[in-house]
Amino acid sequence: MKTIILNGSPKGKSKKSNSQIFAEKFIEKMENPCEIKCIANNSSEELAHYIKDYDTIIFILPLYIHAMPGIVMKFIEELEPATYEGKHIGFIVQAGFIETAQHKYLERYFEELARQLNYGYLGTVVKGEAAGIYMYPQMFKKVLKLISNLGVAFEKTHAFDKEIVERLARPYELSKLKLIILRLINKVGLGNIGWHKMLRKNNSMDKRLDRPFL
Amino acid sequence: MKTVIIKECDGIEIPDVYTFDLNKEAVKNCIGCWSCWWKTPGRCTFADLNEFYHHYITADKAIYFANVTKGFVSGNLKTLFDRMIPLYLPYTTYKTGESMHVPRYENYPDIEFYYEGNFERTSSRQIFEDYINRVFYQFYSKNIIIKPIREFADKGDSK
Ligand SMILES: Cc1cc2nc3c(=O)[nH]c(=O)nc-3n(C[C@H](O)[C@H](O)[C@H](O)COP(=O)(O)O)c2cc1C
Repeated sequence: MKTIILNGSPKGKSKKSNSQIFAEKFIEKMENPCEIKCIANNSSEELAHYIKDYDTIIFILPLYIHAMPGIVMKFIEELEPATYEGKHIGFIVQAGFIETAQHKYLERYFEELARQLNYGYLGTVVKGEAAGIYMYPQMFKKVLKLISNLGVAFEKTHAFDKEIVERLARPYELSKLKLIILRLINKVGLGNIGWHKMLRKNNSMDKRLDRPFL
Repeated sequence: MKTVIIKECDGIEIPDVYTFDLNKEAVKNCIGCWSCWWKTPGRCTFADLNEFYHHYITADKAIYFANVTKGFVSGNLKTLFDRMIPLYLPYTTYKTGESMHVPRYENYPDIEFYYEGNFERTSSRQIFEDYINRVFYQFYSKNIIIKPIREFADKGDSK
């Protein structure tokens, strides 16, 4: 079984790409680590050709507007249905928002895509609240450990470990209590602290609410 | 009433309406740099869509003519969706019971979304329509219509 990992982040092979960090963690503890390629750093046509030699493709990508980034869809357009049984495809999607219900539209499409391409569907692993990982990796040690364990289990079983998948997917929705807390945090202005720090650093705090295109 | 058209299907020409032709314009891919939120609020680091943004955000209605591609939106149209992020603020609101970005502008256009192409199954069509609906719901478009393109042609005939 030959597996290739495709990083679908437009940032490509970058230390600032959370998908790249996930990809490297996923193979970290494997006995025979899989190869990682970045869609952003390759021509779609060539990459689609290159992966024909692999039985299994795992996409690791950020959620962009409830789906895959444009460059990933451009790559998907290049894929042809498998001509023989036994090929597999799986997805790991990480996103900014906390609740993984945000991923459900894409999950449904990916399952459909696997069927269209005549690939066995390994599933879609989802993780929310992941945008800050590259900035504060120490705060996400547990998550990164889970991704590394997911990779180890994958190498052994050629499947995504159910228990790990369930843990990563939490919470699916925001609970009533969580909503009250989040709204309160917003009300007292704590929710924007991180953004405002960035804006000040870039001298653009006073322009933050601009409407340049009216 | 101001209308804008975003199209990638052949054979659609509507005179005197600002039309953004995805087959003619090479829209630069979003690179995930966050300049539009942190550095130059509301402005993308690329200038190729500046005219489009103006027409879109000042329109009452945006009409899309999209090609269904592998059961989804094309990569080109998906890139255009990605590039809509500068029209919203980075802040998250939980008013609706889920995470959503806060609008940057007061109004966003209503949407008529016509698609060309077939689906293998009813469920495939549902996946596509639900996705489009969700996109424009979170983009704060108030009225959203999603239909196969033949229904646009029928509408023209009955006028
Ligand atoms: C254009 C754009 C659209 C995004 N859309 C979503 C979204 O719909 N939902 C979400 O939770 N996060 C969204 N995000 C946040 C990214 O998924 C998140 O920052 C991710 O960690 C980026 O991964 P990367 O560093 O590998 O590119 C979006 C980010 C960008 C730049």
